Amino acid sequence: MDILTSLIGGFAVAVTPLNLALAVFGCFAGTLIGALPGLGPVNGVAILIPVAFAMKLEPGSALIMLSCIYYGCMYGGRISSIMLNIPGDEPAIMTTLDGYPMARKGQAAKALGISAVASFTGATLATLGLTFFAPLLAKAAIHFGPADYFALYVMAFATIGGVTGVNPFKTLLAAVLGLLLASVGLDPATGTARFTFGSYHLYDGFDPIVAIVGLFAVSEIIMYFESHATSGAGPAKLGRALPRLREVFEGFPAALRGSVIGFVCGVLPGAGASLGAFVSYSTEKQISDKKGTFGTGDPRGIAAPEAGNNAASGGALIPMLTLGVPGSGTTAVMLALLVSLNIQPGPLLFERQPDLVWGLIAALYLANLVLLLLNVPMVGIFTRLLSLPQWLLMPIVVMVSFIGIYSISHSSFDLFVMIGFGLLGYALRKFEISLVPVVLGLLLGADMENNLRRALSISGGDFGVLLQSPIALVIYGFTALMLLFSFGIAMRRRTAPLED
Amino acid sequence: MIDRIVGTVVFVISVSAFWVARGYEAGFGDPLGPAVFPQMVAALAAILSLGLILRPDPNPKAQSRPALTRQIATLAVLAGYVLLLEPLGFPLSTTLGTACLALLFGAGPAKAGLTGAAVGVSLFVIFDKVLGLPLPFAPALFG
Repeated sequence: MDILTSLIGGFAVAVTPLNLALAVFGCFAGTLIGALPGLGPVNGVAILIPVAFAMKLEPGSALIMLSCIYYGCMYGGRISSIMLNIPGDEPAIMTTLDGYPMARKGQAAKALGISAVASFTGATLATLGLTFFAPLLAKAAIHFGPADYFALYVMAFATIGGVTGVNPFKTLLAAVLGLLLASVGLDPATGTARFTFGSYHLYDGFDPIVAIVGLFAVSEIIMYFESHATSGAGPAKLGRALPRLREVFEGFPAALRGSVIGFVCGVLPGAGASLGAFVSYSTEKQISDKKGTFGTGDPRGIAAPEAGNNAASGGALIPMLTLGVPGSGTTAVMLALLVSLNIQPGPLLFERQPDLVWGLIAALYLANLVLLLLNVPMVGIFTRLLSLPQWLLMPIVVMVSFIGIYSISHSSFDLFVMIGFGLLGYALRKFEISLVPVVLGLLLGADMENNLRRALSISGGDFGVLLQSPIALVIYGFTALMLLFSFGIAMRRRTAPLED
Repeated sequence: MIDRIVGTVVFVISVSAFWVARGYEAGFGDPLGPAVFPQMVAALAAILSLGLILRPDPNPKAQSRPALTRQIATLAVLAGYVLLLEPLGFPLSTTLGTACLALLFGAGPAKAGLTGAAVGVSLFVIFDKVLGLPLPFAPALFG
């Protein structure tokens, strides 16, 4: 078995002391970042990328640390959902629906246990999926030409809003704005300065990492004063620290269903963990809510979305690693890291750098075990950290993100750019325009343009080349379907606004 | 209404981007040139912003009231921090910046000062000494 030998090789990479230590650190930091309200996986990974640079880590080790943070955030997000009724991050919103009522009934430990096992189920199944599907997709993707890649980027941007029912004009506009921002700077092919307004600071364009930390972390700080001004009811009591083993498996079938749904949502471009949790919860509600207990503290109502968002985060790694097209905000940030380390994700990654890919996959299996330990017997640490005051946590987060960005370039100009992106991020959030497409556009714009240029220089300037490859045609067909679907949903919403 | 304003702003930006990009000239062996892609994108942005102007969402429900004073103060602290970072050096400016932020996030003056000093010193030690990232120490005092 090809895959098994590669995986064993991966474990040899993952169990080196440094990588193991980074994985454990990542799991712990990730759970903590996920648990703190307002700091999601995108922020966590974005803030710690500069730290990974600073530690002069090998690309493989850096990727292991950040992926473990990513997985950890997905586990941690549920903790404040259940204890405080405030989602620790966006994908954990669905978990508040049944998690907090359970905690109010004195079943906080049970709810945390069920959701930890569900997270483990989802994340492990998704990692299995990653192990078997990613190499297949990579093999298929080797046949992709420039025109096909261009089609793939078009699909990633066109479908990013997915089926969430948000005004599709806004998500598309966000992606296009990102693409426009990506063209700032010297054009790599001709050296023409574009949109630099004569400032040499802008010749290199916007560093995606600076932009990401600004868009997410800085805007979060400005937003904080609005969204947290009124706090809800106080935290629920944890009660007994360890749940009973039998109780923990109460939601297991729901977790299995949620994992499958979440995984599919994760693999689809532009969907990501929030959608995974949303679809898992609503499907589970349709299947098993016979007595109307969902929303009042039904264990299955925690198991399904938690398995869903964890499975989606594993699934989202597949298009990022095999195609270089990230499926979610956090994987977009990880792509930014890889690109800055001069590693181009894509189908050739599996052939050229098997240690990096398989080391990462093996580390994810280990991370799941570590996370299960951290999140069942040791969950008390994190619930206690939740009561740390915000005036202590928020300034530290701000300072770490500033020091991180400064350490990359030693330029105050970049810090001002970051604050500027923070303002932009705040404005976009206020206008209900999603930030993830902006980041994807900024990140993928250069590659998209390159592939377009390559395709056209092969054809001698004939745009028809874009439609000649069957692969590209299939991708465009799928894109058109998804677009029709999302505009259809948006239209229906407009005429008959949904109650939830 | 808000959507219409946003749409108009984006429309103006994209039309001017299209206008600015028209001057970028093509090189040899590159049939597309540096102008076409930005222009494609800008044209698309213009069309989409028209869509937003013609079919706006209802105004978002006011879920949260802006806390303008504290938000502007936060931005001022961040900008001031960046300006002072190189002249004052990392430990001092970070101490000041952290203390001001802690105040804004609701700490008392004593706690804010203490947090500032602790964060300023410990981050400097972690990043400069342990991780080996050279950070400005105190250029204003020691040149």
